[in-house]
Amino acid sequence: MYNVLFVYLAMAVLISIDTIRRDRIQKGKDQERYVQERTLLGQKTKRVLLELKNLTITFGGVTALNAVNLKIYQGEILALIGPNGAGKTTVFNVVTGVYRATSGEVLLNEQSLDGMKRHHITKIGIARTFQNIRLFGDMTALENVITGTDVHKRSGLLGGLFGMPRARREEKAGRVKAHEILQFIGIDEYSDRLARNLPYGVQRRLEIARALGTNPQLLLLDEPAAGFNPAEKVELANTIKKIRDAGYTVLLIEHDMSLIMGISDRVAVLDFGQKIADDLPSVVQNDKRVIEAYLGVPADAS
Amino acid sequence: MKLLNRLREGNLRDWGASFWEQSSPTKRKVIATSLIGFAALAPFMGFGLLDTPVSDYGAVLVYPVGMFILMALGLNIVVGKSGLLDLGYVAFFAIGAYTMAILGTRTSLNTWEIMPIGIALAMLAGLILGLPALRLRGDYLAIVTLGFGEIVRISALNTREIGGPNGIANVPVPPSIGPIKFSLNDQKAFFWVVLIMILLTIWMIRRLSVRRAGRAWEAIRQDEDVAELMGVHTLKYKLWSFSLGAAVGGAAGVLYASKTLFIAPEMFTLNVSILILACVVFGGMGNIWGVVLGAAILAYLPERIRFISDARLLVFGLALVITMNFRPDGLLPRKKREKAIVKSTQDGI
Repeated sequence: MYNVLFVYLAMAVLISIDTIRRDRIQKGKDQERYVQERTLLGQKTKRVLLELKNLTITFGGVTALNAVNLKIYQGEILALIGPNGAGKTTVFNVVTGVYRATSGEVLLNEQSLDGMKRHHITKIGIARTFQNIRLFGDMTALENVITGTDVHKRSGLLGGLFGMPRARREEKAGRVKAHEILQFIGIDEYSDRLARNLPYGVQRRLEIARALGTNPQLLLLDEPAAGFNPAEKVELANTIKKIRDAGYTVLLIEHDMSLIMGISDRVAVLDFGQKIADDLPSVVQNDKRVIEAYLGVPADAS
Repeated sequence: MKLLNRLREGNLRDWGASFWEQSSPTKRKVIATSLIGFAALAPFMGFGLLDTPVSDYGAVLVYPVGMFILMALGLNIVVGKSGLLDLGYVAFFAIGAYTMAILGTRTSLNTWEIMPIGIALAMLAGLILGLPALRLRGDYLAIVTLGFGEIVRISALNTREIGGPNGIANVPVPPSIGPIKFSLNDQKAFFWVVLIMILLTIWMIRRLSVRRAGRAWEAIRQDEDVAELMGVHTLKYKLWSFSLGAAVGGAAGVLYASKTLFIAPEMFTLNVSILILACVVFGGMGNIWGVVLGAAILAYLPERIRFISDARLLVFGLALVITMNFRPDGLLPRKKREKAIVKSTQDGI
């Protein structure tokens, strides 16, 4: 009988020693990160956040992206436009690790994302939304966002099971943060409703909220205004600006030109997997190649 | 009548949940204690309608009823919570049982000391199976787990050191705890142990469901790709799900071997896996109370109608088909009701 008690006791002691040890290590890491973040704040210059270097992707014989070079600077809204099939979503899929680059590479803060697991890419600061809404329908809006915040939690399954202090603390903090994000996006009143029962517009915005939950450095929005009426588009434009002003960097795919011209700091244009323009919105608007890509080349010109 | 209407509408579960939510903490405590007390008194209710005419009622309560509930709860973590179809669940049950039988007959360890070892070995088996298999999805995963279940059984069948087809006999019963004695003739003590294990499992699932792990499983079940893109370490949480399910199966196996005193490979066939899976689906995937109810019914019913011998399985199958036709999502399906909807949203739509 006592043997059993002893075995259980020994297990309990071992587990708690391990937890304390890990806590200590983590504290050291936190300090380090704090210093790093302070130094980042100090740099006032435009910093390249994400860089695509000579990125090429082929599927069999089809070249989806052909030697694309693109820089995204910290704190800007960059719109990525182009006709259907130009490779816009492919860019998203490479950046988030869904596809692997055939050649070339993607750098976040000068660190190559090559070969990194998808959840790890999210953890180091890239989050996305989807062209066709892909929320967790059976979860409430709040839970959807909390799932996003989970990525930075350090307590795992056992901590949650045995109610360790850190797990409780993080659980509470995640809930508070999720509410904050929902308020920020303006849909906190829906927090307790199932995602699949929400109106379409709220679902689209909830996707943005869920992505923000992961506290990304770079937010990728894949056609966030699809299916919106003009009033909703204006509201969305304001939201995206608000997100940028809160310090996030946004890469946006969109077809609605008025929305893009209104909010983007820069516009990059893709056509048949190649970047044909990358400049201020007003410049891109009058670029001959861009107009050709969208409207076609006059017959006599060829 | 009201209850019947609720049943037809299919929101009995939601009704129960909102009732629970509205109750005060003291009321909850009273309800929980009386439910547990009621369950603990089940061995004394073996008369009248509830009695099983041919089998021994006390024994039926332990195996299959109690054990099936326990295993169905374990499998529910894998199938219901994280959406991974596991057709080889019996393997973990077998590993637990064989651990108990081997260590119980060859060393002086008793059941309670072997229990953690059995659970650990089952979890290890879950990891070993899961690491390669969990990279697969859907049907492919189901086939690999099915194969695993058979591999474990056939390995036991062909290993002479652990009895081969003859199995292992004379597995010791658990030592008594205070005044409670474990014996074959009176199985109340076994039932109470199973009940405690069931309660522990329910506690574990309920607790994890509202925390990070539960959300990760839920996300994986609904859309694995998106879950991963939202930063869920999918392989890690799928492995956790697998090994926690295995742990429950292993614990059930240890107790089973200690209760039946004799185990053989033919007890751990694919049929058991399928039956446990049927319990989960029949009761309502992902919902603890549905799974408990489903397992209790599916385990008890065949014993209750044992007197019609030959037609027994036919009636059993017919009952299954009819129920699944009327309630395709199970008896008590997973259905999250929405909490009180804020007024402003109703105006807004």
